[in-house]
Amino acid sequence: MAPLSVISLSLCFLLPLLSPAISTNSEGNALHALRRRLSDPTNVLQSWDPTLVNPCTWFHVTCDSNNHVIRLDLGNSNISGTLGPELAQLQHLQYLELYKNDISGEIPKELGNLKNLVGLDLYGNRFQGEIPKSFSGLKSLRFLRLNNNNLTGSIPRELTALSNLKVFDVSNNDLCGTIPVDGPFGMFSMPSYANNMRLNGPELKGLVPYNFGC
Amino acid sequence: MDSTQISRFSLFITVFSCILAFSFGDNSSSTDAHWLLRIKSKLVDPAGVLQSWSLRAHICSWNGLTCSHDEAFVIALNLSASTLSGSIPTELWNLVSLQTLDLSLNLITGSIPPEIGLLRNLRTLILFANNLSGKIPTEIGLLKKLQVLRIGDNMLAAQIPPSIGNLTELRVLGLAYCQLNGSIPAEIGNLKNLVFLDLQHNSLSGFIPAEIHNCEELQNFAASNNMLDGEIPASIGKLKSLQILNLANNSLSGPIPPEISGLSNLQYLNLLGNRLNGEIPWELNHLVQLQKLDLSSNNLSGTINLLNIHLQNLQVVVFSNNALTGSIPSNFCLKNSNLQQLFLAQNKLSGGFPLGLLNCSSLQQLDLSNNNLEGELPPTIDKLEKLTDLLLNNNSFNGSLPPEIGNMSNLENLYLFDNMITGSIPVEIGKLQSLSTIYLYDNQMSGSIPMELTNCASLTAIDFFGNHFSGSIPETIGKLKDLVLLQLRQNDLSGPIPPSLGYCKKLQQLALADNKLSGSLPATFRFLSQLSTITLYNNSFEGPLPYSLYSIRNLKIINFSHNKFSGTILPLTGSNSLTALDLTNNSFSGSIPSRLAISTNLGRLRLANNLLNGSIPSELGRLKELIFLDLSFNNLTGEVPSQLSTCQKLQHLLLNDNHFTGKMPSWLGSLQDLGELHLSSNNFQGQVPAELGNCSRLLKLSLHTNNLSGQIPHEIGQLTSLNVLNLQRNNLSGSIPPTIQQCKKLYELRLSENLLSGPIPSEIGKLTELQVILDLSRNLLSGEIPSSLGDLLKLERLNLSFNRLGGELPSSLGQLTSLVMLNLSNNHLRGQLSSTFSGFPPTSFSGNDKLCGPPLTSCMDSAGHENNILSSTAVVCIIVAIVFTSTVICLVMIYMMLRMWCNMREVLISNSSEGGGNGIEQIKREDQERWMYGDEKKRKGEYWRVMSSMAFVPSQNHDDHISSSCIFQVKMDTKKLGI
Repeated sequence: MAPLSVISLSLCFLLPLLSPAISTNSEGNALHALRRRLSDPTNVLQSWDPTLVNPCTWFHVTCDSNNHVIRLDLGNSNISGTLGPELAQLQHLQYLELYKNDISGEIPKELGNLKNLVGLDLYGNRFQGEIPKSFSGLKSLRFLRLNNNNLTGSIPRELTALSNLKVFDVSNNDLCGTIPVDGPFGMFSMPSYANNMRLNGPELKGLVPYNFGC
Repeated sequence: MDSTQISRFSLFITVFSCILAFSFGDNSSSTDAHWLLRIKSKLVDPAGVLQSWSLRAHICSWNGLTCSHDEAFVIALNLSASTLSGSIPTELWNLVSLQTLDLSLNLITGSIPPEIGLLRNLRTLILFANNLSGKIPTEIGLLKKLQVLRIGDNMLAAQIPPSIGNLTELRVLGLAYCQLNGSIPAEIGNLKNLVFLDLQHNSLSGFIPAEIHNCEELQNFAASNNMLDGEIPASIGKLKSLQILNLANNSLSGPIPPEISGLSNLQYLNLLGNRLNGEIPWELNHLVQLQKLDLSSNNLSGTINLLNIHLQNLQVVVFSNNALTGSIPSNFCLKNSNLQQLFLAQNKLSGGFPLGLLNCSSLQQLDLSNNNLEGELPPTIDKLEKLTDLLLNNNSFNGSLPPEIGNMSNLENLYLFDNMITGSIPVEIGKLQSLSTIYLYDNQMSGSIPMELTNCASLTAIDFFGNHFSGSIPETIGKLKDLVLLQLRQNDLSGPIPPSLGYCKKLQQLALADNKLSGSLPATFRFLSQLSTITLYNNSFEGPLPYSLYSIRNLKIINFSHNKFSGTILPLTGSNSLTALDLTNNSFSGSIPSRLAISTNLGRLRLANNLLNGSIPSELGRLKELIFLDLSFNNLTGEVPSQLSTCQKLQHLLLNDNHFTGKMPSWLGSLQDLGELHLSSNNFQGQVPAELGNCSRLLKLSLHTNNLSGQIPHEIGQLTSLNVLNLQRNNLSGSIPPTIQQCKKLYELRLSENLLSGPIPSEIGKLTELQVILDLSRNLLSGEIPSSLGDLLKLERLNLSFNRLGGELPSSLGQLTSLVMLNLSNNHLRGQLSSTFSGFPPTSFSGNDKLCGPPLTSCMDSAGHENNILSSTAVVCIIVAIVFTSTVICLVMIYMMLRMWCNMREVLISNSSEGGGNGIEQIKREDQERWMYGDEKKRKGEYWRVMSSMAFVPSQNHDDHISSSCIFQVKMDTKKLGI
C-alpha cells in the first residue's frame, strides 16, 4: 500500500507549458481547424500535417508562389461535418471547392471576408440556414454555386453588389421571397432558381415585398 | 470444486493443528518453530532472510520474529521488504498467538485465504505491496482485535466485504492501489475508532456513504482516483478530527457542501477532477487550519471569495480549470500570508492584474494563465520577491514589461506569451540570475533584444517568436552556456548570427526563420553538438556553409530554404538522424551527396530551385521513409535511378525542370501512395507508361514539355482521384482515350501541343468538374466538336484552337455560362455563331473561314441570303422599332393604369430612371436580349408555374399576378429601348 500522497497537488499545471511555440502559420492553422470539424472516412486529409511550416504541401491545397493558399479542392471527398469562421483566415483563397460532400450546418458568414474568392462551390451538401448577406463582400466572386442544399430564407439583395458575378446557382434549395433583378442578377436564367418552392419570381420593386412569402 | 475441497481439507488440518497447539500448552513456542520451519520451506527466499530460522538457534532470535515476554509465543512476524515470493503458506494459520503479521513489500502471489480469520489475536495485518490477487475474504471480519489493516497495492479485486464493519477496533484501514469495485460499504460507519482510511486508486463506484460521519476519530480519508459519484454527503462535515480529505479524480457532482466548514481541523482538501458545480462556498473560510486546497478541474463558477486573511495557514491553492469569473478580492492577502502556490489558470477571470495578490509576499508560484485578464502589469509586481514562477500567458495583458521585474531575483520561469504586450524588454531583465525560461512569444514587443539578457546565466529557453524585435542578435549570446532553446522566428532581426552563438554548446533547437538576418553561418557552429533542429528559412543568409557543420551529428530537422546559400550541401550530411532537409530556393551547387542516404529516417528531402547538377544518386533508394522528394528546378541530368522504386512511401515526387533523360520509368506505377508526380520540362522519351494507371491516389500528374511519344494509355482512366492532368507539349499521337471520362475529379486538363488526332471523344463531356481549363489546342483533332462539351458547366477556359475541327458549332456550347476564355480559332468550323458567343473577342473564332456573325463579320458578307434579312439594315430596324414602340406604348399605358390603381407611383419613377440606362456593357445587353427573346416562352411558362405554385396567394389576387408578370416584361422592354 503506497503511503497517502499528501503532495499530490498538481504542479503538472506548469508542465504542459514547457513546450515553446510551434507555429503561427494562420492559413495552416485555419485549415487544420477545418480538419478537426470534418469527418473524413476516406482519409483525404491525411497529409494535413500542422507541424509543417505552411500547408502548401498538403494534398488538396494549392498555394501561389508566396505560399498563400489559393485553392482548396475537397469536392466529392466523402467528408461531413461543419464549416467554421476560421476559413476567413485564408485571405488569398480564390477557389473554395467543397461540392458534393455531406457538409451540414450554416454557411459561416465570415466567408464573406474572402476578398480574393473567385469561385465558391458548395453545391451538393446539406447546408442549412440563410445565404450570408456578408457574401456581398466577395468582390472578386464570379462563380457562386450553392445549389442542392437545404438553404432557407431569401436571396440576400446585397448580392446585387457582386459586379463580377457570372454564374449564380441556388436551385434545389428551400429559398423564399423574390429574385433580385439588379446588377448581375439581370442575366441569370431560370434554371439558377429552379426547385425552390417558395421562391416567387423576380423582384417587383414596390409592388410586392422583397421577402414576399418568407 | 477441487480447490474448495482442498481449502476445506486445509481448514480441517488447521483446525486440527490448532487443537494440537492448545493441547501442547507451554510447548507452543516449539510448536511454532515446527510450523515456522514448514513456512520457511514454502517461501522462495532468494535474499536468505530466513537463514537464521534453524533449530540450532532459539526461535526468539530468528529474523523477523518477536516472542512474547515469556518467550512462550511468537507474537509478531515481520518479513517486510525481503524479496520473498510464493503464496501465503497455510502453516501460517497455526501461529494463532500472532498479534502482528507484516509481509509487506514482497512478491507474494495467490489470494488472501479465508483462514486468515483463524488468527484471532491479530492486531496488525500488513500485506501491502505484493502481488496478491482474488478478493478480500469475508472472514477478515472475524479478526475482532484488528487495529491496523493495510493490504493495498495488490491486485485485489471484487468488493470490499461489509464484514469489515465488524472490525470495531480498527484504527488504520489501507486498501489503496487495488482493483476493488462496488461501493464503499455503509458498514464502514461502524468503525468508531478509525483514524486512517485510504481507498485511493481503485474502481470503487456509487455514493460516499453518509454513515462515514460515524467515524468520529477519522483524521485521514482518501478515496481519490475511483469512480465515486453523487454528491459529497453534507454529513462529512461532522468529522471534526479530519485533517486530510482527498476525493480527487472521481465523478462527484453537485455543489461543495457548506457543511464542510465543520471540518475545523482540516489541513488538506483535494477535490480536483470531479464534476462539482456551483460556487466555492464562503464557509471554506472557516477552515482556518487549511494548508493545501485543490478544487481544480471541476465546473465551479462564481467569484473567488476565499480570503487568505482568514486562512492564514494556507500554502497552496489550486482552482485551475474551472469556470470562475470576476477578479480576485483586493484584500485577498495579508502581509503575513503563508501562501506559496496559487494556481488559477484556465478560468474566466477578468479585470486587471489582481493587485490584492501583491500582499501575498510569500508567493513562490503564480499561475493566472488562460484567463481574460487585461491591463498593464503593475510596476509593484516586484513585491512578490519570492516568486519563482510567473505564468500570465494567454490573457490580454497590454502595456510594456515593467523594469521592476528585474528585482524579482528568484524568478525562474516567466511565461507571458499570447498577450498583447508592447514595448521593449527592459535591460533590468539582466539582473535575473535564476531565470531559466522566458517565453514572450505572440506579443507585440519591439526594440532590440538587450545585451543584458545574456547576463541571465541560468537561461535554458528563450522564445520570442512572433514579435517585432529588431536590431541584431546580442553578440554576447554565447554567455548563455545552458541555453537549450533559442526561438527568435518571425521578428525583424537583422545582421549576422554572432559567432559566439556557437558556444551555447547545449543548444538543441535554433529557430531564426522569418527575419532579415544576413551574412554567412559562423564556423563556431561546429561546437553545437547537441543541435537537433535548425530553421533559418526566409532570411538573407549567403555564402558557402562552413565545412565544420559536418561534425554536428544529431541534426534531425534542417530548413535553410529561401536564403542565398551557395556551394555544396555536403556539410549538412554529417548526421544520420535527419528526418527533414529543406534547402529550397538557394544557390547550392554541386551534386546531391549520396551520403544523405545514411539518414534512413529521412521523410522530406527538398532541394528545389538550386543549381545542383549531376544525377540522382541511386543510394537514395535506401530512404524507405521518404515521403517528399523535391529536386525540381535544378540542372540534374541522367536517368531517374530505378532504385527509387523502393521508396514506397513517396507521396510527392517532383523532378520537373531539370535535364533528365531516358524513358519515363514504368516503376512509378508501383508507388501506391503517390499523390503528386511532376516530371515536366525534362527530356524524357518514349511512351507514357501504362503502369501509371496503378497510382490510384494520384491527384496531380504533370508530364508536359518532354519528348514523350506514342498514345495516351487508356489506363489513364484508372486515375479516378486525378485533379490535374497536364501532358501538353510532347509528341503524343493517336486519339484521346475515351476512358478519360472516368477521371471524374479532373478540374484541369491540358493535352495541347501534341500530335493527337481523331475526333474529340464525346465522353469528355462527362468530366463535369472541369473548371480551370480544357486545353486541346495545337493538335490534329478532327471531326465536329461534340455537343456534350456543353455539359461542362463549370468550365472557365476552353481552348480547341489550331486543330482540324469542322462542322458547325454545337448550340449546346451556349450553355457554358462559366466560360471566361474561349479559343476556337484556326479550325475548319462553319456556320453562324449563336448570340451567346458575341461577348468573346473575334480572335476566339478567327481562322475559321466559314464562321460568321458577331463578334465576327456579319454573315451577309460571307454567304446566305437569310442573313440578309436578319442583318441590321435600317429598314428592319425601323420595322422592329415601330412594332416595339407600339407594343411598348400599349403596355406602358396598361402599366401606368395599373400603377395608378396600385397607387405606387414612386416605383414607376425608379423603373424608368433605371430603364433610361447608364451605360450597360455589351455582354450584359446581349444577355438581356436572350432573356427576352431566346427563352421568352419558356420563361414565361416558368414564371407562371412558380406563381401558380404559391399556395399562400389568395385566389382573388390572381389577376394582380398576371399583371405583375406583364409589368416585368414591360420593364425589360423599356430597357431594350433605352439602349
